[in-house]
Amino acid sequence: MRGAASLAGSAMFVAPLLALLAIWAIVVPLFEVNPRVFPSIGAVGGAALDSIRDGTLIAHIGASLLRVGLGTLIGIATAVPLGVAMGVSPTVAAFLTPLFRFFSVLAGIAWIPIATLWFGYGFGAIVFVIFNAVFFVVTYNTLLGVQTIPHTLRNAAWSLGAGRWAMLTEVLLPGALPNIVTGIRTGLGFAWRGLIAAEMIATNVGLGYMLFVARDFYRTEVIVFGMIVIGVLWLLIDRLILVRIERATIERWGMVRRA
Amino acid sequence: MKTLSLRNLGKTYFDPYAGAHVTAVHDVSLDVQQGEFVSVVGPSGCGKTTILNMIAGFIPHSKGEILLDGTPVNGPGPERGVVFQSFALFPWKTVLDNVGFGPKMRGVPKAERDRIARDYLALAGLSHAANRYPNELSGGMQQRVGVVRALANEPAVLLMDEPFAAVDAQTRMTLQEELTRIWQDRKPTVLFITHDVGEAVFLANRVVVLSKGRILDEVAVDLPRPRVWDQLVDDDEFKRLSAQVLQMVRAA
Ligand SMILES: Nc1ncnc2c1ncn2[C@@H]1O[C@H](COP(=O)(O)OP(=O)(O)OP(=O)(O)O)[C@@H](O)[C@H]1O
Ligand SMILES: [Mg+2]
Repeated sequence: MRGAASLAGSAMFVAPLLALLAIWAIVVPLFEVNPRVFPSIGAVGGAALDSIRDGTLIAHIGASLLRVGLGTLIGIATAVPLGVAMGVSPTVAAFLTPLFRFFSVLAGIAWIPIATLWFGYGFGAIVFVIFNAVFFVVTYNTLLGVQTIPHTLRNAAWSLGAGRWAMLTEVLLPGALPNIVTGIRTGLGFAWRGLIAAEMIATNVGLGYMLFVARDFYRTEVIVFGMIVIGVLWLLIDRLILVRIERATIERWGMVRRA
Repeated sequence: MKTLSLRNLGKTYFDPYAGAHVTAVHDVSLDVQQGEFVSVVGPSGCGKTTILNMIAGFIPHSKGEILLDGTPVNGPGPERGVVFQSFALFPWKTVLDNVGFGPKMRGVPKAERDRIARDYLALAGLSHAANRYPNELSGGMQQRVGVVRALANEPAVLLMDEPFAAVDAQTRMTLQEELTRIWQDRKPTVLFITHDVGEAVFLANRVVVLSKGRILDEVAVDLPRPRVWDQLVDDDEFKRLSAQVLQMVRAA
């Protein structure tokens, strides 16, 4: 029953992508589009096979995922405690909220120039941009999450004997989780875009670099293939990791409506 | 002998919008004996919730004393269990873990607190729901969990603020009957707040009538137990007591 439902869900998800592929397969040969403007499906498939065979694809993906993973982990590990600490004090929260809202909007790409000045061109600058994209958004959302926990829940925990530590681990963190997850999803979205942009400027390996170099040689088939990889990887991260976390926790607890 | 004593208790709020002080509770003195079930009734705004929140330690009191067994209370504590009108169950914990929360805070090991929680869930007829999450339960079931969660911590006094106001009338009557049954079984000390006169009389040994932040009067209720609505609706003594309390509340 569940299997059938999730199969139907996957079909609904894949169908529009297949339609796009079909249009591509028809339109490019029909109008004899110049491959320097847009590649055929066959050429992109060829580029895909080449990059898989010579191992460059896996190197680019590995480099990009490592940067995203590291920056995101540092971002979450610092943002969640800070957001909770801010959330428990109304004064601190009121003072810092406008600041974090401001930086949430700036998160990611806008920091690339200054990050390269601070860390030089390379790993450090890129990880910083990702960390930054995740950090402000997750902090702000964690803060919001802690603030929206009904006060009666804190009172209930308190009158059942919870101390400060138990309040944090048993009430504030799980209570803020819906917002934390939203923050991570938004932040990772920023981070992913920031990653591609930063890799175009500040490195010599990674998916963004792959696009950037291909452009110099008019290799549209490599560019389009890279774009597809970037999109597919994002969807996989979102659906296989983030959506699953949501299902197992906040949806189960009835804290968000099932989409 | 655990008793709850309120001595000349008072509460004055500062209302920042009106820029004025509002005295919600003027001067309340009340003793609740161990194992007693006391209902507090009064019209809306007479200070019932304020009194309960002060006893629970959620808000500070402005004057007087709150003593538990002779010791002044300060802030919330597990010896004063609270049942909330809005249930206040933890959505991220199963029913079993909600009920076992108090024992967990006391450091009771997992196996032992699960046993305690199952024992109390059985008392409320909820054994089958142990592994469900609160959002999967009806309002009536959620409040049963709310009641046994407070009881499982074995508080010296159980504080209840209109706990059955958010469920439908039929469920409310069932919950009231169950509460009297549980009370007979475990004999907790209960301070029960309501604006429903019938509910106050049905449940209590003693009904205290509150008016504008002061105790107006009180009525002893000696109706036999177990109490069930089918018998009490036509019971002359129940009707007489209810009418008496209602008259006081309306005069309040
Ligand atoms: N935080 C507050 N600040 C200012 N005034 C308050 C506050 N809380 C309650 N009051 C006032 O104190 C009075 C008593 O309120 P309380 O909530 O104790 O009444 P109640 O008897 O519980 O009423 P109800 O039956 O409607 O629940 C009311 O006049 C109310 O407006
Ligand atoms: Mg009230």
